[in-house]
Amino acid sequence: MTDQNVRNQEAQDAVDRASTYEWGFSSDIEQEFAPKGLSEDTVRYISAKKNEPEWMLEWRLKAYRAWLTMEEVSWAKLDIPAIDFQDAYYYAEPKQKPKLGSLDEVDPEILRVYEKLGIPIEEQKVLAGVEGARKVAVDAVFDSVSVATTFRAELEKAGVIFRSISEAVREYPDLVRKYLGSVVPQRDNYFACLNAAVFSDGTFVYIPEGVRCPMELSTYFRINAENTGQFERTLIVADKGSYVSYLEGCTAPMRDENQLHAAVVELYAHEDAEIKYSTVQNWYPGDANGVGGIYNFVTKRAMCAGARSKVSWTQVETGSAITWKYPSCILKGEGSVGEFYSVALTNNRQQADTGTKMVHIGKNSRSTIVSKGISAGRSNNTYRGLVRVNSGAENVRNFTQCDSLLLGDQCGAHTVPYIEVKNPSAQIEHEATTSKISDDQMFYAQQRGLNTEDAVALIVNGFAKEVLQQLPMEFAVEAQKLLGISLEGSVG
Amino acid sequence: MSLLELPSNRTEGWRWSDLSALPEIVARQPAGTVPEALPWIGCAREGPRLVFIDGKLAADQSNLGTIEIGSVQANPADHALARLVGSEGWKLKLGQDHAPQGLVQIVHVTTGGADHLPAEIELDVDAQASVVETYIGEGWANRLTSIRLSRGARLMLNRRLLSSAGYVSLNDHAVIGEGASLIVATLSAGGADTRMDGQLTLTGDAAFAEFGGALLARGTQRHDANLAVRHEAVGGMSRQVWRSVADDKATCSVAARVEVARGAQKTDGEQSLKGLLLSRTATINAKPELEIFADDVKCAHGATVGELNRDALFYLASRGVAPQEAKALLTQAFVADAIDRIGEEEVRDAFHENAMAWLGGR
Repeated sequence: MTDQNVRNQEAQDAVDRASTYEWGFSSDIEQEFAPKGLSEDTVRYISAKKNEPEWMLEWRLKAYRAWLTMEEVSWAKLDIPAIDFQDAYYYAEPKQKPKLGSLDEVDPEILRVYEKLGIPIEEQKVLAGVEGARKVAVDAVFDSVSVATTFRAELEKAGVIFRSISEAVREYPDLVRKYLGSVVPQRDNYFACLNAAVFSDGTFVYIPEGVRCPMELSTYFRINAENTGQFERTLIVADKGSYVSYLEGCTAPMRDENQLHAAVVELYAHEDAEIKYSTVQNWYPGDANGVGGIYNFVTKRAMCAGARSKVSWTQVETGSAITWKYPSCILKGEGSVGEFYSVALTNNRQQADTGTKMVHIGKNSRSTIVSKGISAGRSNNTYRGLVRVNSGAENVRNFTQCDSLLLGDQCGAHTVPYIEVKNPSAQIEHEATTSKISDDQMFYAQQRGLNTEDAVALIVNGFAKEVLQQLPMEFAVEAQKLLGISLEGSVG
Repeated sequence: MSLLELPSNRTEGWRWSDLSALPEIVARQPAGTVPEALPWIGCAREGPRLVFIDGKLAADQSNLGTIEIGSVQANPADHALARLVGSEGWKLKLGQDHAPQGLVQIVHVTTGGADHLPAEIELDVDAQASVVETYIGEGWANRLTSIRLSRGARLMLNRRLLSSAGYVSLNDHAVIGEGASLIVATLSAGGADTRMDGQLTLTGDAAFAEFGGALLARGTQRHDANLAVRHEAVGGMSRQVWRSVADDKATCSVAARVEVARGAQKTDGEQSLKGLLLSRTATINAKPELEIFADDVKCAHGATVGELNRDALFYLASRGVAPQEAKALLTQAFVADAIDRIGEEEVRDAFHENAMAWLGGR
């Protein structure tokens, strides 16, 4: 093939990609649904489906009753259509199969989905018996039920517990009971409360004292069935002196109906423990006119309980029609460290209101916030953050930087930081800038032979570099590609 | 007073406010005692001088000049405090190319109760004026000021809040036309709690707005500012410079927003909010907010909170400056950022003196 042909082919591919949502496939696997709507019976159904102990059911029902008394929040700079909570399914699981011994026994349809999701790069090597492949443990949440958890044996050797949360409820009830809801209480907010009542599945990780988790843990979330809300619950506990890096990646198939995703993530770090939590979020954002797309209302919070504990949130948010998400750190331990690195990209009619909270309670605690917002099309992108220093927290340091990049004159970029300081020894710095891609930058890139789209992608990646480099390798590559793809059609 | 329906902290614009003292002040009767010497600023070009005692003009002590007293057009919107001001107040209306003969000075004396007063400033094409308002006494002084600047008009509005106790609430609505310039600088250096609301809108191209001040608080005082500068036209420029100093158990809160409307390209907006904590029990809150709907703009904000720089203190100590003096010196420099933007030298000096007096009271 000549160069010309190759280029034509590439252009055609790009057009094809741009005209559809690349990962907007959907697969038909037999599903078992809970009856439509939400009531105490739905909660009981979910609990019964999962063979949960009595205390778990009671916990759910308590949350459900609390939820009935709560109201949806409206302070975010978001235009959220009214959600009919009775017009959704709260539970769907791939049709019951006998307990699986290995991945081979998994429904081939599901395996195909994984393949498209890009899991196999590492996974396939392992499945094919390739030695020395970099190890990533994957707990795949297919719709609502964890289908398979790999690498369990190797993790168990290290003493690491890596389970779907429903398994953990059965196998490690004491641990789950101790930590569940300890960071995000049931009544924390409307969507967290809903999650507490109807959470379908999720991940539980426990790293014992002094253990450095031998591999990166990873969960791929995926919303598949039409009209099923996805209510994930993730709980990660790092005991004294342990370390874990957790990756969360999301893609969802193309659907015409708005889907609700209300997850809760709780992290608990003891003395000297470190948790690194990375997210690449690429739910279906809706089409160019804002039809369809996922509502992503997530509550993520970390408790840095022990001295010198550290939690680092990194997120790349390119998907979802509406994102409402504030991964936060309660810095209770002396000398504890919280970090938040975020890239949020919105295009077309997407809306994102995201940021973090750093609550400094412990002495000498430190936090860093780097937020990069990119708005294109007719989208709106808001950074909303809180830095609070309590009066007993001596020598607190915080540095916050939030930069916004606007592509086009129909989008919006907003910054809403709150700073509340009650201790004079604190040093709090906040900086924010807003800019667009300068003509100079574009000219330079173009005279080097890049087309407009590539040039924009390159510059945007440079803008987001500080955050992207915090991601583990595999994710960094995926994230860079995602930024480029998500911007397609927004320029030129 | 049945009209007094106060917002709670659950309302976003009032999250750091404490209005609990107001109902008690409203119920009080003003004492009517006015100090002998009023805080006039001596200056080369004397202009109109007005004294309001408990919201009423003291005609015998005032020289109205170009200022009128009468029915005032001011829109309180649904602001809980502004809607109490009524419709009788003072007006400064200047025709094209006009200016008052000198510095306009207004002293508001509140003697224990609550008083409400609206005002209107309207400058025609290329008119200009400089106004200083000073608040003294105790009680609750509640104000609403409506400002309209036509093309090329220039207004400097400087305020000193020196009331010894009680509450001062100010609410400004300004519309700034093409090439017009509005500078509002405020110094809170009294013993009263204060609340400032402001909405400045730049409706003409290449307009300029500056909104800033120094908030000094001690004891259990609370200063609370909630401001927005809105750019609706092309090429506007705005600056918001706020310096907060909180001592003892005091709280200073500044929420300042830059809004850039769709199409307001080439906007240059800047915010600088800094807070200085002088004691372990004081609180500084800041919310520097940007809301941007246009892409070719330059908007930046910076916010810092901390204590006095130890290196600077050490340097001064090594030069033989006593610790107390060194602290005052550095605090003065910190506050000066906001006050130095006042144009007239006499006014600036007077403001500096008031700030120093406050610092000296430590």
